[in-house]
Parts: sequence; C-alpha cells; structure tokens
Amino acid sequence: MVVLAFLVIYPVMMLLLGALTNTNPVVDGFGVFNLSLSNFSEVLANPNVHAALINSLVACTGGTVLAVVIGLTFSWVVVRTDTPGKGFIAATSMLPLFVPPLVAAVAWSILASPKTGLLNTMLATIGIDWRFNAYTMPGLIVIFGIYYAPYVYMFTASALRNMDPSLEEAAEVSGASAVRTMFTVTFPLIAPAILSGMLLSFIVMLGIYGIPAVLGTPGDISVLTTYIFKLTAWSPPLYNTAAAVAIILMMVTGILVYLQHKITSRRSYTTVAGKAFRPAQLKLGRWRYVTLGLAIIYLLVVVVLPTLALIVAAFRRFLFIRDMASLFDMRQYGLMHFERLFANPLALRSIWNTMEVGLITALVGGVLAFAIGYTINRTNLPARKSIDVISTLPVAIPGLVIGVAYLWAWIGLPGGLYGTIWILALAFIARFMPDTVKALSTSLLQIHRELEEAAWICGRGLLGTIRSIVLPLARPGLIAAMTLLFILAIRELGSSLFLYTSNSMVMAVLLLDYYEGGNLGITAAFSLVQTVLLGVIISVAHLLSRGTGDSSGIRRAG
Amino acid sequence: MKNLLGRTVMAGALVLGLAMSMASLATAQEFGPPELIEAAKKEGRLVLYTANFTEPEQETIAAFNKRFPFIKVEMLRAPGGQLITRVKTEAAAGKLNADIVDHSDRGDMLALKDLFQDYAPPNASEYLQDAMVAPNLWPRVTLVWAIAYNPALVKNPPKSWADLTKPEYGNKQIGQVFAPAGGTTWTRAMFERKVLGEDYWSKQAATKPALYPSGAPLSDALVRGEVSIAPLLYNIVYTKQRDGAPIEIFFAPEGAPAIPYATGIPKTAKNPNAARLYMNWCLSKEGQSLMISTQGNLTSLKTPPVYPKNYDPKVVKVWLPKFDEFESLRKSWVDEWNKLYGHRQ
Repeated sequence: MVVLAFLVIYPVMMLLLGALTNTNPVVDGFGVFNLSLSNFSEVLANPNVHAALINSLVACTGGTVLAVVIGLTFSWVVVRTDTPGKGFIAATSMLPLFVPPLVAAVAWSILASPKTGLLNTMLATIGIDWRFNAYTMPGLIVIFGIYYAPYVYMFTASALRNMDPSLEEAAEVSGASAVRTMFTVTFPLIAPAILSGMLLSFIVMLGIYGIPAVLGTPGDISVLTTYIFKLTAWSPPLYNTAAAVAIILMMVTGILVYLQHKITSRRSYTTVAGKAFRPAQLKLGRWRYVTLGLAIIYLLVVVVLPTLALIVAAFRRFLFIRDMASLFDMRQYGLMHFERLFANPLALRSIWNTMEVGLITALVGGVLAFAIGYTINRTNLPARKSIDVISTLPVAIPGLVIGVAYLWAWIGLPGGLYGTIWILALAFIARFMPDTVKALSTSLLQIHRELEEAAWICGRGLLGTIRSIVLPLARPGLIAAMTLLFILAIRELGSSLFLYTSNSMVMAVLLLDYYEGGNLGITAAFSLVQTVLLGVIISVAHLLSRGTGDSSGIRRAG
Repeated sequence: MKNLLGRTVMAGALVLGLAMSMASLATAQEFGPPELIEAAKKEGRLVLYTANFTEPEQETIAAFNKRFPFIKVEMLRAPGGQLITRVKTEAAAGKLNADIVDHSDRGDMLALKDLFQDYAPPNASEYLQDAMVAPNLWPRVTLVWAIAYNPALVKNPPKSWADLTKPEYGNKQIGQVFAPAGGTTWTRAMFERKVLGEDYWSKQAATKPALYPSGAPLSDALVRGEVSIAPLLYNIVYTKQRDGAPIEIFFAPEGAPAIPYATGIPKTAKNPNAARLYMNWCLSKEGQSLMISTQGNLTSLKTPPVYPKNYDPKVVKVWLPKFDEFESLRKSWVDEWNKLYGHRQ
C-alpha cells in the first residue's frame, strides 16, 4: 500500500493539483493553493475537446472490436484447433507488441498515404483507381485493431489453455455443434479474460500518441492524446489544461474498470482445479488451411509489409518514390542512415540504458505486480478493492502528462534518484502496473483455492503456500508478465520525455528526436535496430525458459 | 546519382577546406584566456539543454571537439515547451543539471533570465543588439525562414511569399506549420501579417494548406512528396538538400523572417568554465561560420562571416520581430490565425 501510494497516488495528486490550479507545484511551492475548477470548466466547454473525445472514443471502440475479433480468433486457432504451424501462428500473434506505435504508424504512412503510399504506387502501376488512405478514421481503427490484438490474444490464449475441457465435452455430448459450443460454453467461460483483454486494449489505445500523431494529423483527426501533446509542446505550454484533460481521461477509465469488476465478480470462473486434463483439439479438416491462411495474411499486414516499408526507408537515401521503377532503382540504396546513426555516441548509450531500464522494470515490477495481484485475488484484506483500482489508474493517463506528474512528484525527493535510470524504471513500473497485474490476475484467478487450502492443511504458512503452490502454478503467467513489462518499458515514450537526462537517454526518446528532426531514414534505421534487438532478447528469454517445457511463459505469451 | 554524390562530396570538401583554413587562422586564444581553457579542461564535460535539432547540434559538437577534444558535451534535446517546463521544474527543485540552456523562444527565456549568470563572449561587441533580449542571453543560433518546393511535383514554382496565396497551389499542395507551434512559427506568422499585409493570412488560408505541428516532419513530407511547397526554416531543408534530397529552396524577395535564439549559462552550472568555452566558440566567427555554411543557419553578428547557400545579401531582407510586439501581439494574433486557418485549439 505504501509502495502504491508512492508510485501512483502521490503523482496523481500532483496531477490533480495541477489540474485545479494554474501553477507548477515545484516552482510555485505548495503554499499557493488557488484551487478552482476553471481548467475543468474551460476544457468541458471547449468544442475541440468534445471533438477530440468523440474521435478518441470512436477510434478506440472500433479498434477494440477489431482487436477482439483478431485476438480471440488466433488464440482459439492456436490452442484449440489442429491448424498446422501453430508455433508460428502463436509467435505471429504476439509480434505487433514489439513494434513501437510510432514506428508502426510511420511504416503505415509510408505504405498507405493517399498521395505517396507505396501500396498506392503499386495500385497505380497495375491500373487500379482505388487508393488506400491511412489518414482517415477507418485507417486509424484498422491500425489500432491490428496492433493491439495481442493484448486480447495474450489473455484469451492462456485462459483457453488452462480451461478444463470437460465442460465443452459435456456440451458436445449433449448434441451441441462445435460452433454452438464455442459461443455458449467456451467463450462465456473465458469471459473474464476476454473482458480484461478488451478493457486493457481499449485503455492502452486511448493513451497512445504515436499512431494518431502520424496518421491522424494529416487528416486533421484530433484525439485526446494528440490534443494533450499540443498543449504541452506549445510555447508557452499549457500543462494545467493538459492535466485537466488527463483527469477526464482517467475518469473514463475508472468507469470502465468499475464495469469490468461488476461483470466479472458476478460469477465464478475457476477452471483450474486439482485435476489433470488436456485441452481437446478440434479437427478442422480442410478448414485448417483457411485458418493458417488467415494467420499468414495477418503476418503480412502487421509485420512483413511494415517491415519492408521500414527497410526501404532505412536503406534508401530519400523516400521520394514516383513509380515502381524508382522503387527498385538500386543506386538509391545504401547504408548511409546506419552510418549516421552509429556516428552519434548517444545511439549506443541509449541502447544500453534502455536494456538496463527494461531489466530493472521487469524484475522489480514483476515481483510487485505479483504481490498486488495476489492481494487482490487471493486475500480478504479490506483494502484490496481500492488497491485494484489504484493500481489501474496510471494506464489511463497519457504518458506525456504522467511524465510531468512524476517529474513534479519525485524531483524534490532527497537523494540522487532524479537523473538516474531508476526514476525511469519507477515510472515504468507504476505506469505498466495495470497491464502486469491484469496479466497475472488472469492466471491467479484460475488457480482453484482448494490447492492452496491443501497446502495450509499440510501446515504451510502464507508465504510457504505462495512459494510451493501459487508461484509454480502462476509461473508461466509471471514470466509472461515480466516479458511484457520488459517490452513495454523498451517501447515507452511519453513518460520518459521528462525524466531522462543527458546521462539516461533511452531509445524511444532518441527515436522521437529523429522523427521530430524530420529524418525518416535514420528513424527507420533506428526502428529496425530496435526491432532486431527486441527479437534477439525475446529469443534468448525463450531459450532460457525452455527448461520449463511446454508451460514456458514465452511460449504462452508468444 | 553519381552527379549527386559528386556534388555532395565536393560541397563537403569545400566546407572542410573552409573550416580548416579558418582553423589555421584562428588560435585557441580567440575563444578565451588560457586560464579559462585550463579550467574547462579540468572540468572535462558540460551538459547542454537545447531546443535545436539533434543532428545539427551533434555536428556543432563534433566541430567544437576538433578544437577542444578534452571536453565531452552531453546533450539533452527537447521541443520548446517541454524544455522550458523541465528547466523551470529542475531549477525550482535545486536540481538544474544544465551548464547551458539554449532555446528558440526568447520570450520564455526572458522570463527565466534571473536563473542565468553574467556572461559575454570575447566578441560581444560584434553582435546586433536587436537580437538580444537580456545581456546574459546570447543568440548562439540564428535561424531563418525560406520557401522550399519539390521540383518534380511543381512545374511552375512560386517565387515569393505572395505567390503562396495563388489558387493554383490549392488543395493541400502547400504545407504550413501552424502558428501556435512555437516562437519560430509565431515569428513567421507575425512577419506575414506585418510585412505582407493584413489580409495575407486569409488569402493564404483560402488555398487550404495542410497543417503540420512542426517543421521537421513537414520537411520530410516535402521530400516524400506528401506536399509540394512549404515555408520552412532554412536549416531543416538545407541539410536535406545538401545530402541530395529532391528539393529547391529560395529566399523570397519580400523578406526573410529570422529567429535569434536565447542561450545562457545558469548560475548553478557545475561546469561553468567548459560552458563558457563552448559558448565562446559557438559565438565566435569560426563557430558561426560552421553553423552557416554546413547547417544553413544565419548569424546575429553585425558582419556575417559567410552567407548560406542560395542567400544573396543584396536581395534578401532579413526581418527581425520587435521583441515587445513579439510578446504583446502573440495571443490575440495567434487566436485569429487559428480561426482563419480552421486550426483547432
């Protein structure tokens, strides 16, 4: 509770203070309290905020629906069918998580800009008049949906895997068709996982800056995050107004979390009991090639095409491509962007710092999330409900604004925290607590109490039970959560912006620097480096956890 | 392509030759007394906070290090508004890390002038007084607006600011950075209304330009062909042209709005001598020449040592905003600009 207060409540209070006043709490001191609701009333009366709010809700709702369709389909395909190449599909389903939103958006603007998109150049070459246009609301929704499907996949795949198939068998014995069983038994049983995935992907989309910034700006589609970014980047910056907008965003999330609680607390979803079982697999027959085909198309859309676009951008001198002949003009290609990237000493430094921050975040955050998840799901402490809500708050605040809140909150602390990578790690832990706790809660929810009770009866204490029963059973979830945390920490941009110093520059910030510097070539080159590094790290983590066999966390996650 | 490469190498060689001949002329003494250089050497490092772009600043640091290899310059770059917030907050908490703060918005810096120590470079008298807002804040960098276009897409290129109001360039062919984006764009907007006429904004807005949040992504959009024409800070497009991008740039005859930065050394600087040496070098003829010839900056020196490419001092009229107007007109004019351009704020 004390940890949470420090990590979450204190910075949120700073934010609230910022929203209610027109002061910078650090600069003006805490003595000047001119509390007023003027920021809120101004914001609420501003028609542009209404437009941004509506755009945000439309884009995120559409994106979430698409994410659920994709995520759920693939988790079902991977866990419950005999589709060939399931390992490959599982990996594919998680790949978009490695792609920072800014990078994905830049890649898609290269592919599907109405004027110069590579896809459109190709369509023109083959004489088709129709054009892709990523700079529209449907464009935004599709990109959101395909890149945030892994959240849904992650939750539903592990839930499906841990589900006792006897219920499905019962349905089938009673004469229900496979499809009917799926919709009346399977999906309702994993409803908490679907809901958690939905909620999380919705909230994360709500807070994403990179995608709407790159794709929404040219089409003049303003969303809450791009609006907030404008408020902070302008000179003079309007942080207090930004804080007020952020608080509104937080309230929306609060309501969603509350709804999720209402729904999931009504029923019991325990499906992992002290019995052995193996999930049954559906024989798809010829249809299995259709499911495989879907996965290949998904891979093409989320990974292959954008990566090709990035490769073109990273190796090509300039991205002015009039026709297909120009695209394949090899004299335009070379290593110049990589040479310039690594001539900058900050590049290597930022890579090293990022790895360090990622590791600290994953280890410390994982342990903390486990403690919180256990408290929420497994104990009867009176504070557990509020702990749940508090730990979910940070995800609702756009990184950029919470970055300022962290700066305001923690800069005054004695000791040398500010200016080190630890302050970044702390911010990431707080910020991604909801993702981690939710990921863990799903696996904790599924472990039946009877297993723990058995341990207590055998004389184990609370910690002993956790160590000998809960931890081993939840280990795949824990490893998956830590891996997720690592990836999120490496990608995180918003909250880093105010906390890094010349010594603790991280990759995401340098990447934005290059993008803002208008150098798409180096931005693409650096994105590729980041992607390759992440791939290597994930593979190593996968190899290291192989000892645990099929229940390996990475395998589960991806 | 060969031609292109050849030209780039030639240009590079010329610049290098220029820098080397300048280097042989100047001695280290020009940048400060031996005691300062010795003290800076002992400090061995400095932290620079800047709103300038990463890449040009790295080039400046590399050139400085050729002369003074013993000082490691650690840079922290952030967009204007974010940089000011950080400086204010750090300073209030007594943890300002910067040895130098370098910012494009002179108004924002003036508000913080008491944070900075007294400082003047050895060649202080050579600087234009109009470019300064306080005696301890120096125009280390001076930027200038130009107009750029993609010749592959524009058959009949514009030749002046006035041409940017022509209907033939309508339908999002022109890209514009919106006025409230920061001090540099506000300077351009103010120039347009004061020099080109009260109705310039409404005529220009009628061409329905595509609006961008900052100049660098706009310059990239121009290179890619997303837009065909754009007013841009010369240093953003020049470096691209230098590297062979398919763009042409010109300074319009009506005038070239210029933006002097405000740069100071905080009273709390931990490496004040290294900071002074870096500032002395940047403000020297050698430093300014490098920024002009390789990065496409202008200078606030009364007598510019060189001019950027495409810039004819006999034709181009540099336009500096009056600082009191820069502050007093800002809010109401930017509001009007937003309305005329349909920019949501």
